[in-house]
Amino acid sequence: MTADAACEEVFDRFRSEWIDRDNVEFYRGLLRRELLVNRCGDCAKWYQPPWPTCPYCWSRNVKPTEVNGNGVVETYTVAPKSEHALAVVSLAEQDDLRASGLIVGISPADVTIGMAVELVWLEREGNPVPAYRPASTNDGVNGSRPDMTRHRTTP
Amino acid sequence: MTRRYPARDQVAIVGVGTTTFTRDSGRSELSLVVEAAQNAIKDAGLSKHDIDGLSGDILRNEILQSALGIPETGWSVSCLTAFNIQMTNAMMAVASGVCETVLVYHSMYRTPMLSASAAKDPYRRRAQTFIGTRRPQSHWPDSIAGEASVYAPWARKYFDTYKVRPEHLGYIAVNARNNARMNDHAAVRDPLTIDDYLKAPVLWDPLRMLDMEFPVDGADAFVVTTAERARDLPHRPVLIHAAVAGQTDRTAEENLRDVDHSSQAVVSRRLWDVSDLTLDDVDVYYPFDGFTITTLKWMEDIGYCGLGEAGDFLDDNWDPATERIVINGRVPVNSHGGNMSEGASQGSGHIREAVQQLRGDAGQRQVEGARVALVTPGGFFFTPGGLILRTPE
Repeated sequence: MTADAACEEVFDRFRSEWIDRDNVEFYRGLLRRELLVNRCGDCAKWYQPPWPTCPYCWSRNVKPTEVNGNGVVETYTVAPKSEHALAVVSLAEQDDLRASGLIVGISPADVTIGMAVELVWLEREGNPVPAYRPASTNDGVNGSRPDMTRHRTTP
Repeated sequence: MTRRYPARDQVAIVGVGTTTFTRDSGRSELSLVVEAAQNAIKDAGLSKHDIDGLSGDILRNEILQSALGIPETGWSVSCLTAFNIQMTNAMMAVASGVCETVLVYHSMYRTPMLSASAAKDPYRRRAQTFIGTRRPQSHWPDSIAGEASVYAPWARKYFDTYKVRPEHLGYIAVNARNNARMNDHAAVRDPLTIDDYLKAPVLWDPLRMLDMEFPVDGADAFVVTTAERARDLPHRPVLIHAAVAGQTDRTAEENLRDVDHSSQAVVSRRLWDVSDLTLDDVDVYYPFDGFTITTLKWMEDIGYCGLGEAGDFLDDNWDPATERIVINGRVPVNSHGGNMSEGASQGSGHIREAVQQLRGDAGQRQVEGARVALVTPGGFFFTPGGLILRTPE
């Protein structure tokens, strides 16, 4: 339903985010539960934040592209009174490609740097929010993205 | 000529770039600046690697540096005026040697208030919402960007990479407090021990309340003039021997390459590049202490010890008698109490104290015969800098 949401709808769903023509696709992606990262059509590099041209080669041929959401915990912290760790995740697509999000499905005390994680979607105030959980040992993530809607906490 | 002007004939404009001027570009303001900047750099026959300074206005320089992937700069400003001071700033930076090649930029973007058709563009209406606010870089819904949240994960990364104990950060907090206890101006002067520090609750894991600066209301101000005129004024002059900044293109907080490749490392390299002094000449040191981890890392980045050696360095330079850090038995660290205990000043308190030490006006904190002060305000991500101040021989 939100595949081609008009920008007003995106603005309406994300009241306080700094949204412009360069990053609106990222937010449209969130509404579809797709994690989009800019990828350069010329040098093939991924980069974020979603700047208008590729910071590596300055090409304008850049496209918000879905990542598979697998990665490792680069580092993390735990907010006061939070039940989840807040992590910097290094995404599998490219060395040093980073994302930030909560680590759910595991106590903060059990989170470790280097831990393999996979993408899950939380729901907060009606919007999908990307988060991560320990990677499943079998490789059955693709195609069946589990819903973690029980994690409705707003940190 | 009636006035000195050392910059005369010293700086040239070597590239120009622009975009189409239209009533409705259908683009973001950033994408217009990026295009003009790329055109100007190409026009000059240069690449992004040649740019080491940024001078602009509305569009913040750290956003542009990240978007252009300019690996490192040594000076960058964003100001708010008509377009002239941006060029003057750039000329001064180049003439002084703070940096070599500055990208100067400016953007025009029609606001809904200026035209009825612009008012129809939903993106421009949305942009109005953010006037006067600092654009964040990290766009993730749950981002580490923020105040305490941003240093805690990188402190953890340091702990994971190198051997340190919690009391190493405690040394920095207790050092600040014991220095503040000699400073009537300091906001916090209650006694503090390493035991107190270790017992303090963890707030943003692994950082404790006592790892964070103490916010205050206040102000500092300085008057700067020529060295020649300074000789005729009442106080012993304090010369700016060197002043630089440093910034990498990894300015979004989650994008730090690792703890050893922050903007602090750029500051250090560029500061020592333009000074003929060394750490052996430094009598007083003022590293930034918004968080204890930034101070600990400055010890490595500025060159007092190797990467990962700050814990051992603090063990070796901890004075148990006074419970202060005294480097090589003679150099105090944040002798005024720093952001931790004098009060969070973003670095102006550090520079004020350095000036007072070099004037010989630091009271019971005075380091006898202090002639060279090193100040490094700022942290890992954007806009840190470094200054070496000295007395005139």
